[in-house]
Order: sequence, then structure tokens, then C-alpha cells
Amino acid sequence: MSAASRFVFRRRGHGNRWHWTDVVTWIWLIGGTVLMFGPALWLVASSFKGPAQLAEFPPTLLPYTQITAQVEGYDDPLPLFTVTQEDGSTTILAEIRRIGTSAQMVDPDTPSERIDVDIENRAPLREVGLATENYVEPLVTNDFLRFLWNSVFVTVMATLITLLTNSMAAFALSKYRFAGRDAVMLLIVATLMVPLSVILVPLYSVVNATGLLNSLWGVILPTVATPTGVFLLRQYMLTIPDELLEAARMDNASEWQIYWRIVLPLAAPALAVLAIFSVVWRWNDFLWPLIVLSRRETYTLQVGLNTYAGELNVQWHYILAMTVVTMIPVVLVFVFLQRFITTGIAGAGIK
Amino acid sequence: MGRIALNDIRKSFGKTEVIHGVDLAVEDGELVVFVGPSGCGKSTLLRLIAGLDRPTSGTIEIDGADVTRHSAANRGLAMVFQSYALYPHMTVRQNLSFGLENTKMERAEIRRRIEDSARMLEIEELLDRRPTQLSGGQRQRVAIGRAIVREPSAFLLDEPLSNLDAELRVTMRAELAQLHERLGTTMIYVTHDQIEAMTLADRIVVLRKGRIEQVDTPLNLYNRPANLFVAGFIGAPNMNFFETTASDGRAELPGGLHIDVPQDGKITAGIRPQHLRLANREEEALEGTVTLVEALGAETVVHARALDGTAMVTVLSGQPNLGIGDAIRIALDRGEVHLFDAEGQRIDPS
Amino acid sequence: MAAIPRTLGAIVTAPLTWIARAIDPPLRWWQRLTGLNGMAAVFLLPNLAIFGVFVLFPLVLNVVYSMTAGTNILLGDRSFVGLDQYQRLLTCEDYTQAITCREDMFWTAAGNTFFFVVLQVSMMILVSTITALILNRNIRGRGFFRAVFFFPVLLSPVVVGLIWRWILQRQGLLNLIMVNLGMEPEVWLNDRAYAFTATIGVSVWAHMGFYTLILLAGLQAIPKDLYEAAEMDGTPPARVFWRITLPLLGPNLAVVLVLALIRGVQIFDEVYVLTGGGPGTSTLYLTQYIYEVGFASILRNPGLAAAASILMGLVLVVLTLVQLGLSRRNEQRGSRQ
Repeated sequence: MSAASRFVFRRRGHGNRWHWTDVVTWIWLIGGTVLMFGPALWLVASSFKGPAQLAEFPPTLLPYTQITAQVEGYDDPLPLFTVTQEDGSTTILAEIRRIGTSAQMVDPDTPSERIDVDIENRAPLREVGLATENYVEPLVTNDFLRFLWNSVFVTVMATLITLLTNSMAAFALSKYRFAGRDAVMLLIVATLMVPLSVILVPLYSVVNATGLLNSLWGVILPTVATPTGVFLLRQYMLTIPDELLEAARMDNASEWQIYWRIVLPLAAPALAVLAIFSVVWRWNDFLWPLIVLSRRETYTLQVGLNTYAGELNVQWHYILAMTVVTMIPVVLVFVFLQRFITTGIAGAGIK
Repeated sequence: MGRIALNDIRKSFGKTEVIHGVDLAVEDGELVVFVGPSGCGKSTLLRLIAGLDRPTSGTIEIDGADVTRHSAANRGLAMVFQSYALYPHMTVRQNLSFGLENTKMERAEIRRRIEDSARMLEIEELLDRRPTQLSGGQRQRVAIGRAIVREPSAFLLDEPLSNLDAELRVTMRAELAQLHERLGTTMIYVTHDQIEAMTLADRIVVLRKGRIEQVDTPLNLYNRPANLFVAGFIGAPNMNFFETTASDGRAELPGGLHIDVPQDGKITAGIRPQHLRLANREEEALEGTVTLVEALGAETVVHARALDGTAMVTVLSGQPNLGIGDAIRIALDRGEVHLFDAEGQRIDPS
Repeated sequence: MAAIPRTLGAIVTAPLTWIARAIDPPLRWWQRLTGLNGMAAVFLLPNLAIFGVFVLFPLVLNVVYSMTAGTNILLGDRSFVGLDQYQRLLTCEDYTQAITCREDMFWTAAGNTFFFVVLQVSMMILVSTITALILNRNIRGRGFFRAVFFFPVLLSPVVVGLIWRWILQRQGLLNLIMVNLGMEPEVWLNDRAYAFTATIGVSVWAHMGFYTLILLAGLQAIPKDLYEAAEMDGTPPARVFWRITLPLLGPNLAVVLVLALIRGVQIFDEVYVLTGGGPGTSTLYLTQYIYEVGFASILRNPGLAAAASILMGLVLVVLTLVQLGLSRRNEQRGSRQ
């Protein structure tokens, strides 16, 4: 074993023997990697397959596209097939049309001569290639762009408002002594117990009464006063020394300036964590938008995807592609900010 | 101008009163040091003057105007904090200008003030750095600079040197003294370090448990401490105390040494270790046994136990040949003895 | 490179800075008028207002809804029926048979949820504990593998549901594997037992990374010298695990248990997309029941949905109280150390 692989497979057993726990560890880790990434990769691979290929069984691992050829006398390019002759030899023919179980084909080199072939005897000629029209078509024709915009709007606005209101509340709760502060804290703790699914009906009625039904604001506002965010920020702000605030007070700063120019910049790490969480939360929200948004033009991506998947004639080639697009921001967050989040969770135990 | 007067200031946190009626007048241009053991209320008193806390009762006047109800920003004072409290996300320049911008001062004036004070404190090259990129001494200068640019009527300094190492502390102390000389602005300086207090102060305020024990110049405090607490607190090593009972105008100290006293009854005699010396054979002396010898080279600190068990410390010049367990006879200069009555108040010799 | 985000940041913050500066004078005036307490109120107000309108008020309103009947959402058009809705939910001829209940769907959903939670939480704890133990070993690339198991946590439930629906369908990846192993392909989600198992498996797949992180943090908080002391004593590894690792991980395990229970009871999104509650009612869980009764079905009954959600809320409150108690005990233990 080379020095490098010895280093990679550092393990419990000494010398060259593998302890059984090493075997379990690596089986678990490699199996886990396949299981965790595999489904998403399969989704991405599938999203580049055309509808015909998606209906095939067994499916191929990689996406293929049909090879076509321009044949004299025909306006459109014709798909090429490998045809097995009765004597066992194979030729490459282009298909004109299919009638029942036989196909009318033509040799590209001799375009005038038509040949009838049993479809059992022909196999499509394909190469690895991407059916990018799965992505392009819904973006151009469907409401997909609309959904995408709605989701971006909800995510950005909700995150901004969350950061602002939560940090203001956290500032008051961490840096002021006032009557009722403990009561407010208790109230916020208590509402950790009230998940959205418990107040669906009355919340719907409130949103209805405020005229926010079928409005993106009806999705945004109920989510922004998160107790988790207030908590996280308050814990962080408690670590900012009071002397800094006092120095600012001596420096003629108003309380609002202290919040805006001293506390907010110093709480930036915690704000960043909350921002990442908020983006992921709001981007992924499903149940509440599903209830509030009933007009198609207000759908967010998640609701839109669910609607597509619920249609009678499920157009998987579009759905898969749109699912991939929906995944992109989250994957970006994962790739670039994963460390932030994992330490945030380990530290505060929030999700 | 910077005259500050405190009138019967009291402060309670909840039910516990921590400042019990303080009266004090600080003259313009004076450097007054608040000194006392931790928990004596010196920092609280400073925060009350700053306006960061409000007194429970009593009034604070600056230049004759009652500012008790004014906010910290409107008192025209500047403060240097123990932790420096530099804004970590701002450059040195921004730290200095933050307070000036808040008063809507003109840009050119802000610039001028920053440049002046940076030159004075020799921090010109540091202006574009952030506090985390500075050494402890540099941060200290910036903190002082932030106070100077405000051109306040008085500076309040809360243990400003306590976060520096010993060597730097001595240098900064000297610089602070020079700065006060040059600016001539009133300064109130809080410390628990009596050497800082002695070297810097025009007048020292000794505090204990929320009360003023004595206000006087450094040398008066040293030479004429008003009570046992001040006597024990000022001077290092601490003053030796001998409790005894006087009758007929005389009191006996352990070992048979007699001193004259102006009144009878329970008294405490105090004498500084520096005012003790080894006795000649024929002299009356304090007698005891050496328990510890700290040889510092130029002088030697000898800890001994007197015959009655009282611990006493002597600072002897040079390197006397003494060891643990040796019998020792110590003489004193009777003119240097401080006498305190049963309540611990100073008795002046008649 | 670093200049681009900085300029972007400046573009975003410039208008915000302008707004912040603009509202400073009125707030200064307010501060002079009311002091620090008044400012505390200003800072709390936006959050508390939103909070009050969209959380606290609905909480109270829920009770009102649960005592009214009708299909109209407007409270004025609803009739007061007292505890009828609860009675309807809770009446059964034979409590072991959901079909004999007046509101049999509720009991089916409750029963499904119960079995789901028990199985899913056990699986979750088992899998995430093993993963955490493995990630806590001195292995190369630990950060990478920790990220690997965390990846699905970030995916939206809808995406999770679609990914697995795609894998479990007739021409899906799972059947490809089955065929390659020489077994018969299945239409997995058309089978009651398979569909139920799939909801458990998929939700464990999606969330285990989160619990693994909590457990891993717990494992890493166990002082190294304890293990070294045990090694000096010649303690066998199995005994080290049972007598040192597990007891010290106890508090974290308890937190994970309760969190997983709380989340499990509310399961909805990924299951709704994966199976839609089917086939039949085999994967119909409580939140979907509330959603269907309150919003989706033609004969919607918001009162009944409100009553059901209050019953579910009570379970959650109990679980949350247990969790708060546990984390407080942990904190005390932490501060004593």
C-alpha cells in the first residue's frame, strides 16, 4: 500500500491489519455517500433525457439523444436506426414514419428507395447527449419563470424583514433592562411550541381578513417573526460588551444609531447564519404557500412543482428539469456555506 | 471649563445601596483619582458622573449647571473605558470621527481634530488600521484619542491602564501625566492601583464601601492618613499596626518599647515598614522572630512576628545578614508613628 | 474577487443606510421624550406586532374556530356549536377499529401518524447515532462526509418527494437495481406497505443529517481524557461505548428524540408530494388530514380542522415542554462543569 492510501485509510487497526470497525466505517461512509448524493444525481441525469427515453425500461444511466441525419428529399432531419437484416448483418437506416409494428425506412445514401422494417429489428442509434429543451421549453412557455420570480421575491423579502425585525427585537431583549422583558422572552419561548400546522385555519382567516390571500405578502409576513431568529441573535448580542454601547452613548450616538452602526455590524456573523437559514427555509416552504396561494400566477416554485406533479398527464421531462432548477440555490448554499450552517446547528441546535 | 460637583449622591441597585451619600468638588483642570479596593463604588461613581447611570438621589453639577437628568451625550464629557471599547468594525480614523459626526460637525473640523490628536498621540500611521490590528498600548492611545478629539470639558478614565503589561503601564502613566499637563483639562481617573494614584493625582479620593474615606493630595494621604483604612491602603508594603492600650499618656508596644500618646484607652499605633530599622543594643525596640526574608538587592523586606504574635514588616536598606528564625530587634523613629483611636480615626499628637 | 461582493454589498446597503439615517431624527426625538424604555418599545414593536397578528392572535382564534361549524371561513357566518367538533372527532364505537369512528379518517390519520412516528424516530436515532459515531472517528475527510450526510437536509421537501417518487416509479432506479439483482420490479408506491415504508425511509433520508450533527456535537464535547483514562485502565472498547460514550451522549440523545418526535408528528410536505397520502389512506398523516379537511376537500370543515389541530397541538406542547425541561437540565449540567 502506498503512503498516500495508508494516509487515506487511516484506521483503528495497527500495522496492516484491518480492524472490523474500519471495514464497517468505510462501508457506511461510502454507502452513505452513494445514498445521499445518488438520488439527486439520478434526478439530474434523468432531467436531461427526452420523454421517449424516460418511458424506457430498464432506464439508462446516462442521457442519450437520437442521432439524426439530413436526407435528400425530406425537410426535417430523420432519426437513424441500426437495422438487423434477415441474414444477421446490420445497416444504418433513417426512419420516415412508423406504421403499426413496421417502420418505413430509407437508406440515407439512396434516398429514393423505401424499405419496410419490422420495428423489432431496429434499434435507435444514439449518442450521449443532453436534452436541454427540457430546461429551455418550460422557461420560455410555461409559468415557470413566474414561479421562479415569486420564489425569489418571497425568499429575499422574507429574509430581509426577518433580519431587520428579529435583530431589533434581539437588541432590545439583550441590551435593555425594562419591565416585562422576561415576560416577552417567555412569550417568545412559548411560541416555539406553536408550529404553523397547528394554526392553519385561524391563520388563513387572519390572512384572508387582512386581504393578503393570493398575495405573496400573505406568504411572507406570517413567517418573519421567527422566535428562533430572535433567540439566535439575542444569544450573540449578549456577547457584545456593554462598554461598546456606553462608549457610543458618550460619543453622542442615539440608540437607533447604536443599533444600526454598532450592534448590527458586530452581529454580522449571527446575521449571516440567520440569513442562510432564512433563505433555505423560505425557499423550501410548501404547506403555507399551498394554502395561501390559489391563483396560478402567484405560485412559488414548490407549489408550482407540486401542481405539475399532480396533473393527470405528468410531464416528467419538464418536472425533473424544474426540480433541478429548484435545487440549484440550495446546492449553492450547500457548496459554499455548508460549514456556516453545520456549525450553526451544532452550536444552537436549530433548523 | 470643567468644574464638577457631586452633592449627596446616592445610588441603589434594587434594594442594595452601593453609594451612600457622596459629596465632592472637582476643580477645573484638576486630576482627581478615585482609588479603593474592588467593590468600593469608584467605577459606579464615575458612571454616575458620565451619565451612563442615574443616581438614586443627589445632584451632579458641571460648571454650575445641574446635569443630573442629562443624558451621557449631553454632558460634554468623554470617557476612556477599561476595555478601551474601541468599535472593532471601524478603522482608527472612524473610531475617532464617530462621535464628532454624531454632533453634525463639519468635515474639515473633524479632519483637523483627528490629525491634531493623532499627532499628539503619535498614532498617525495607525489611522487606517482596525483595533484588532493594534497592540495593547496602541489601542490605549486610540481610546485616549477618541476622548481627546471631542474636546470635552472633562475626561473620565476607568482603570485605563489595567489591561497593559507592567512595563507599558509605567510608560503610559508618564504619558498620561504629560497629556494632562499639556491639555490642562479636568480628569477623573479611577484605579485600584495606589502607585498610579500617587504618581498621577493632584488629589486622591479614597473610597470604601460606597463612602469617601479621605480626599487629599497624595503626600498628605501618605503623611497624614485620616483613618486606619487609608493608612493601611496607601503605601507599600502596608503599614504595620499594633493594637495596645494607653494609660498615663504612654503606650507599650510588643518588646517593651514605649511611645507617648495624647489620650488614654484603646489605641492603634501604625508605622510604615520604611520607618523601621534594626535597633542598637541599648535602644528600646520591638522584638520578634524573622518569618520570611525577601531580598530585593537594594533593600530587604523582612517579615517578622512580634512577641505578642502581631505580624510586622520592615524594609531595611542593603542586604542585612538575616535568616528565618533569627531573633530581631527593631527600632523606630517616634516622629513617624501614626496613632488611631478606638474608632480608627487619626489622633493628632498634641 | 473580494471586491465584487463588497461592491454588491454596498449597492444593497446604500438605500438601507439612507433609510436608517432618515428615521434617526424622529427616533432621537422619541428617545429624548421616553428614554431608554421608550426605545426598547420601538425596537420590539415590529417583531411583536407581526408576532401578535400572525401567531398569538391565531392561537386564540383557533379555539374559537374549533367551537363553530359551517363551510364558511368568515367567523360571522359560522354557528357556535360548543364542543361538538371535538365530540365528532373523538367518538368511536370501538376504539381499536378506526372504521367504527364517526370521523374515521381522523383516527386513521392518527393511527398512521403514531406508527409512522414510532418507526421513523427509532430508525432516525439508530441511523444518526451510528453515523455520528463513525464521523467522530479519526478518519480522513471527516468534514467532507459530515457534509455528505447533511446534504439532503437542505433540499426542499417537495424536491425530496419528487426525487424519490421518480426513483420509486415503475421505470425507476430502484426497479433497475431489482432487475439487475434478478428480482421482479414493483410499483412501489401502489402498495400500501411499501408506500408506508417509503415515507419512513424518505423522511429518515432527508432529516438524519440534522440529528447526526447534534449527536456529533455531543460526542465531540466528551473530553478526550476520559477515553485516555479508560484506555490506561485497559477498558474494552464495547465497555467504553456503553459506560462512557452513551451515558455522556444521553442529553443529546434525549434532545434528538424529542425534536424528532415533534417533527415526526407534523410530517406533511415530502409525504404529500411522494404519495399524496395514498394508496388509499395508508400514508395519510395528521397534518394532511387537517389540510384536507380545512382547505382541500369540497366539503371543507374549518371547525373540524381547527379542533383536530388543537388536539395535535396539545401533543406537541407536551413534547416541547419535555424538550425545554431536558435542555434546561443540560444547561445546568453544562454550567456545573
